[in-house]
Amino acid sequence: MPPSPRPVSRRRLLQASALALPGAWALAACAREQPLSGPTGAASSAAGSASGSAAPSPSGIPIASPQNPIKWPINPGNEPIASGLEPEANATLRIYNYPDYIDKGVLKGFEKEYADYNVSIELSTFNYYPEALTKIRSGSVPFDVTFLSYNFMGRLVYGDLIRPLNHDYIPNMAANIWEEFQNPFYDLEWQYTVPYTIYTTGIGWRSDLIPEDIGARPNPYDVFWDSKYAGEIAVLDDDREVIGMTILRDGGTDVNTADPAVLGAARDAMLEMLSLSQPRVTITGYTDIPEGVMSLSQAWSGDMLAAVNYLPQDVDVSTLRYWFPQDGLGLVNNDFMCVLKGGENPVLAHHFLNYMLTNEASLANLSWNGYQPPLKMLTPETMVADGYIPDNLKQAVVLPEWFVAGYPILELPPEVEAEYQAIWQQFKAGA
Amino acid sequence: MRDVGDRSTRFLWPILGLPAMVWIALFFLIPLYVVLCVSFGTVDPIFRSPVPIWNPLEWQFTQVQVVWDRLFGPDNFYLPAVLRTLLYVVIAVGACLLIAFPVAYFTARYAGKYKGLVLALLVAPFFISYMMRMLAWINLLQPDGLVNSIITLGGAIPLDINWLSGNPYTVVMGLIYGYVPYMLLPLFAALDRISPSLIEAARDLGASGFDLFRRVILPMSLPGIVAGTLLISLPMMGDYFTSDMLSKSPNTAMIGNLINLSIATPGQSGQAGALLILVLLVLLIPMILYTRSNARAEVRS
Repeated sequence: MPPSPRPVSRRRLLQASALALPGAWALAACAREQPLSGPTGAASSAAGSASGSAAPSPSGIPIASPQNPIKWPINPGNEPIASGLEPEANATLRIYNYPDYIDKGVLKGFEKEYADYNVSIELSTFNYYPEALTKIRSGSVPFDVTFLSYNFMGRLVYGDLIRPLNHDYIPNMAANIWEEFQNPFYDLEWQYTVPYTIYTTGIGWRSDLIPEDIGARPNPYDVFWDSKYAGEIAVLDDDREVIGMTILRDGGTDVNTADPAVLGAARDAMLEMLSLSQPRVTITGYTDIPEGVMSLSQAWSGDMLAAVNYLPQDVDVSTLRYWFPQDGLGLVNNDFMCVLKGGENPVLAHHFLNYMLTNEASLANLSWNGYQPPLKMLTPETMVADGYIPDNLKQAVVLPEWFVAGYPILELPPEVEAEYQAIWQQFKAGA
Repeated sequence: MRDVGDRSTRFLWPILGLPAMVWIALFFLIPLYVVLCVSFGTVDPIFRSPVPIWNPLEWQFTQVQVVWDRLFGPDNFYLPAVLRTLLYVVIAVGACLLIAFPVAYFTARYAGKYKGLVLALLVAPFFISYMMRMLAWINLLQPDGLVNSIITLGGAIPLDINWLSGNPYTVVMGLIYGYVPYMLLPLFAALDRISPSLIEAARDLGASGFDLFRRVILPMSLPGIVAGTLLISLPMMGDYFTSDMLSKSPNTAMIGNLINLSIATPGQSGQAGALLILVLLVLLIPMILYTRSNARAEVRS
């Protein structure tokens, strides 16, 4: 359950593809999976060497957090590619991403820019990251580039699945990207990753359906426990986002807590929410809110910007609202891109990452999917002035300092993760 | 001559049956065994992916235990969803029966030369995928959709109904709509088989309309009713899509939703498998009863 947002315009169709999932899952179980040769050993030795700076989980993989920033090891034989190599010619660059999370026009732009090398791009998609990880490990398709968030970083490194980057190919990182991402806690010295988007989790609504200014409440999260809005509201279909929001509502700040008392209180509060406001649980708010199917939802900032594209003709853009605490003390997360070791075109993959960090490609992608790239040139003022967002959605813009101030949703040790999953299952079972 | 004929038929029928047997083995028995091996298997500690145990002698019961506890243990939060599923299925099957029976009866008895056409129309929904039909309902049931504009006579009556706000009745309606054709066909087959002379005989002997229904038509259509009930209640038990599309609310979660959620959760494929097997075992009971009663009926006739 990576909290990665998918501004999925055809999400409903995709839900249907999940119909085929049980079968796919059975097949996946049959599929050959690369044994953890080395990584288990590497994991324990690395955990030993990293124990000073990182908290190892019981499985032996350290977990990155702002308090425990991690410089991931580089496994022997997995050194970065040499500088100055020519991109592979006549290549098919295989991209593996969430559905509708990248603008196909931007991909076309890359093909055009590298037309001399006769490059074509093949985009494959997954619905859940665990599903993606199974496929990447099976090695059945040589994917070159994938998109993910913090939760699977350690597994990709220790599973020997990703390739460290040669920074010479990616000058746009220093040129265009926020200072905060030049040495991020989840990947010190950005050895493996470059940022893709950054987003907050707040509340989105249509002001003509809900006239109340939710953001003016002493505790805006209380709206999900307000029986006045029963049947009209929704929370995100993501365990960590909802549990995290509940912890914040009750005055906590550690959205990755392992404290049973806090988690128990969160569970009780979530069950209370079920009976008070009967929320729907969905990530389709970016179409459902503009269409009026629901009036208010917990929402990712990018989804509310994407919602502008789904408004019916007779509804004005100015009716859309998004609230996020403007001191940055809320859920702030980012997704990043990395180069997979199993890919056939490592040089081209580096060029692709660099291309995605150009202002032009990033902005084109932003205006298509609503998700903000951490570009230095973007500020709330310029985004409004340049027409990327309407003035009433200004709170959906993410500020660089929030990456430090906000609360990221981090990877959990397996036994804590199981606690979160149990709470979520109880919530989703409607019990 | 006789010997030759016997030998050829002895091999003919198994050979004709072979593709179906291979099909069942490849796409049912082997996958089912994989599900078992995953449910009784372990989980990779790092990748949280299922590690099936292929040898039944080494099977572990931890994941089945987790599911069992959630169903019948002290913290049995799966149980309400199971009871809810049963309730929805009973209501939906009853409604399907009430809707389908008169239609099937009419088609079998009174459609005359239009019988073929009526049947074709009744089967028409099969041509459109279940998902598409549910998507259509989402559009129809939207706050400004067709259903509401009909109910409110184009906005003349100030009624504000949000069908998609996570209501149980919308989900049950979706189930009824989605599965009614599957009920119709077996009912039609059973009713079509009742000889008109039997009905005439009952009439001649003085049976009233109600008596005719109670003592002739109903008993004779019973196999169709049972077949239709099984045919639709089994898939309904595992349905998660209707609730996902028309409600999205945990308050209407069904067993299928629980299984689907477990599959999507890292490290819980085994639990999904265990839940699936429990459902399968429970559903097997009416299935076995049905085939046995069918076999007995065949022997009798």
